[in-house]
This record gives sequence, structure tokens and C-alpha cells, in this order.
Amino acid sequence: MRHLSDGTLRRIYDEPLALTATDQAHYETCAECKTRFQAIATTARAASALLELPAFAPESGAAFRSVQARIQREEAARPPRWYERWLGRTTLSLRPLATPAIAVLLAAALATGFAVSGAAGSLIRVFEPHSIVAVQVSPSDFAGTGAMLDYGEVTWLPAAPRPQLLSDAAAARAQSGLPLLTPAALPNGVSGPVSFGVVSHTKGSLTFDAERLRASAAQKGVQVNPMPPTISGSTLIVNAGPALIEVWGLSASAAEAQIPTLVIAQTRIPTVDSTGATAAQLEDYLLSQPGVPPDIAAQLRAIKDPTSTLPVPIPKGLATTQPVQVNGVSGLLIKAAIGAGVVWEKNGVIYAVGGQLTPDQVLAIATTLH
Amino acid sequence: MLQLDAWRPRVTPAPLGAINHNVPDSFERLFLQEYPKVVAIAYRVLADRPAAEDVAQEVFLKFHRRLSPDSEWASGWLHAAAVHSALNVIRGERRRAQRESAHALDPAQTSTANPERVVEEAEGRREVRRALRRLPQRTAALLMLRYSGLSYAEVASALGIKVGNVGTLLRRAEDALRKEVNRATSE
Repeated sequence: MRHLSDGTLRRIYDEPLALTATDQAHYETCAECKTRFQAIATTARAASALLELPAFAPESGAAFRSVQARIQREEAARPPRWYERWLGRTTLSLRPLATPAIAVLLAAALATGFAVSGAAGSLIRVFEPHSIVAVQVSPSDFAGTGAMLDYGEVTWLPAAPRPQLLSDAAAARAQSGLPLLTPAALPNGVSGPVSFGVVSHTKGSLTFDAERLRASAAQKGVQVNPMPPTISGSTLIVNAGPALIEVWGLSASAAEAQIPTLVIAQTRIPTVDSTGATAAQLEDYLLSQPGVPPDIAAQLRAIKDPTSTLPVPIPKGLATTQPVQVNGVSGLLIKAAIGAGVVWEKNGVIYAVGGQLTPDQVLAIATTLH
Repeated sequence: MLQLDAWRPRVTPAPLGAINHNVPDSFERLFLQEYPKVVAIAYRVLADRPAAEDVAQEVFLKFHRRLSPDSEWASGWLHAAAVHSALNVIRGERRRAQRESAHALDPAQTSTANPERVVEEAEGRREVRRALRRLPQRTAALLMLRYSGLSYAEVASALGIKVGNVGTLLRRAEDALRKEVNRATSE
């Protein structure tokens, strides 16, 4: 029988249990292998002596707090990455709920009209969009985002959604669980490697807390209407993602300002359930908060069935919209000077196609995706 | 619009068994699980506790920027990043010798209070660091990972090699280290 290799003999020194029964039987009866083992063990002991250091037990908890603080500082300081801009950072975190103007956009999602969730009888499904409507917003509506108010406890399970940038199609497909979408043909000017953004499925909750809102408003010197007892203590549960975004026209490493030539995005429809306050109560309260632009409030109140309608903010004066048909379902076509986009919902998935393209080009892509 | 308030049961707070406010997120779990190993790797290379902790924290920051904590490659990536970052420190740092001198003579970093022994240990550590600098990066990385306490499977995962090859490469690396140290001390 062949003798054991140097590598196998070396492993016996560290991990004797890893030896196969055959190798073990050979070793027990082979004087030559035992002699070689002794030489290998001597070298290993010498190396071990050379590399010996005093014991050191680091304090993981303190180190984690230090790293966490640095991450938070970096997150606060960095400009949004391209895929965050496309996803809209506001949709990635419940934090902007604290800004009245943005809270109104969620209020649209929560407003009037109910359907009891099938999953849990005690929860009320207050948002599950199946149609899309444009809400005109102007940049000045969001000028007051500095006054971030604390409406309550926000938690994520398992963690706040964090977009991941991937350059590998198979990994993006595996990670998102969504199929990659390919247009029948790419328009002129769209080429190059495709980058992928993936956001995993996440569950988040916001538990409204009247006292926290009062305290944060007082601290920031902002006037707010007191949160009524019907809302305080209620929890909203948001289920969002997974989402998969395919982007043409960027290098995978680019994190700074670049405008993609084409973006194809898809996400399972988000849902919001409420444990206490009704959607009507939430709408009434949030839309009546000082700082909510009356124009936006009026547009949101005008949505006939807000529970199943996704409001898409459209910059006033910079883009126009029109209803379109995409493969038999209703969609929203957005036309702007820099490009066009189309958003539609089908079979529980929201799709979006956009880029530096003409409306005809985005519709051609949207209708030929496979 | 349906008005369901009349019959809808009032839900008591915290009905969400699934949402536990105290659950650490994936990154925190990964950090607490891997930080001791990542520090151990950097410490084995640098023989310097504060520098090892600095390297470990940088590695986790870099990880956080690039990868998901749920990735199956998370541990291997962290171990590899730790060993290569630490080796880069000893290879690139011009004033390493002075710093080693200062730290090596720190009583907190030595295993004995005997002054002669302290000096001897410090010199020994400097010599080993110099030898590590001269070894090929992959050889030094393998040695450091294994002597930081990683299993053969973990070493293989970090370096992207087969578990069955770890023993062979380790045997050669130990030989190479011993020869480097002997060569230096005989010069």
C-alpha cells in the first residue's frame, strides 16, 4: 500500500480524527510513516514555538459598538448610491415617516378602505397596491426634511433592507428569487455590462408612540397635532421585497453620480397591515399634520381606493404622466426631458422600466420583457 | 368603503410574536461570532493587540460596505481579509520595527516578567515578523490562519483551496518559516 502523504501526516498532528479508517490502519502498521510523522511533528512544534504569543481575549461587544458608530457616521455622510436613488431611499426605511410630507405618501398607502388580511385575522391589510397613480410633488414640498420627527419605534426583521450591488446575473437571480427580465432587443445607446441591485424580503414595523412624537417635536421646536390614542400604540407591519434591479450603462464599481441608460426593476408588491388604528384614522391624522402641503394632501385624499393604489411621486413641472396598457394591464407612463419610464403591476409583482430613452422605447422594452 | 371598526376586535399591543425588538441583526450576529477569530488572525500576524483590533475593525467595516452578512462566504471572506490586511501592514509599514520595539517591550504583551526573557521574546517576535515579510504572501497567510486556531476546513475556505491540500501546504510553509528564521539568525 502507498504511504501516507506529507499533508495527511501533517493533518494527523492537528486533527487526528480527520484521518480515514484506511489511512489510520496503514499508519498503525507502517514504521516509515511513523518516522516521517515524527519529523513533521518536530517542524510543527518548532513553528508553533516561533509563532507563540501571549493570550489575548478581545472584547467583542465594545468593538461592535465602535464599528456600529463608524458605520452610522459613514451612512449619514455618504451620498446615496445609484441603486438607492433608483429605488428611492425613502422606500427603504421607515425613518422618513418622521417627515410629515413624506409621511403623507405613506398615508396614501394606508388611507381608507379595508380588507382583512388572510394571514392573520387580527390584522388589517391597509395597503396592497394593484394599481398606480401619479402624485405631483415639487422639490420644495420636501425642503423641510431637516425636521425629522420620531413617530415611534421602528424595528426590522431580520434587518433593515440593505441593497446589494452584484455583477453576476446568477447570483442576483439566486439572491432575489426573482427571474431576470430581458428585453427582446436593446435600443441604440444601451449596451455594456449589466449591474444588478438586490434587496431581500424584509419585514418592518412602526409602533406609533404619542409621547415620543411629542418629545421629538418639542426638542426640534416643531408644532404637531398630538397623536390621538386611537393611533398611539398601534403597529404598522410592512412587508417589502424582494426586489431585483437590472441596470445598463454603469460600471459595477460606480457608486457616484452616473445616470443609467436603462433600468428594469421588479419587486413583489409591498403590503402594510395595521394592528390598531384604522387606515382612515391614520390618513386623517397624518394628512392634518402641519407641514403637509395641502396640494399633496388633496391629491392623496382624491385617490379612490388608496389601499390598493400605489402613489408614484412625480416631480411637478419636470415630468408628465399618462395611463398606458402594458401587455393587458394598466400602467403609468412617465415622460421627462431626460428620459421616460413606465410602471405597472401584474400577478403580485410591480415592474418598472426606465432610462434615457423615448416613451416608445420604454414601452417597446416593457412589452417584450421575457 | 367598508366600515369594519364596529366589529373589528381591538388588538392588544405586541401581537407580533415574529417581531422581537431585541433580536440582533445579521451583521451583529456575524460580528460577535467572528470578531474573536478575525482579531486572533491579525494578532498572530502583527503581535500587537491594538494594531490587531484596528485591522479587525477595518475588515468588518469593509465587509459591511461590500457583502451581505447572510452570505455563505462571509466567514471565509473575513478570515482572508484579516490575514491579508495584517500581512500588508507588516509588509508596508516603514516604521514597523520601531513600533514592534515599543509594543514588544510592553509588559502587557509579554508572557513573563523576567527582563532578560522579555527582551529575548521581543527579539524573537521581531525576527518572526521579518521572516513572515519574506515568505510568499500565500504561504504566510496559510501559516497565520492555521496558527490563529482556524480548522483545516476554515483555512481552505478562506484561501479557496481544497481541504485535502491544507496539510501539504502547511507542512511546506512551516519548513519555509523555520528556514527563513534560521537563515536570518545565522547571518
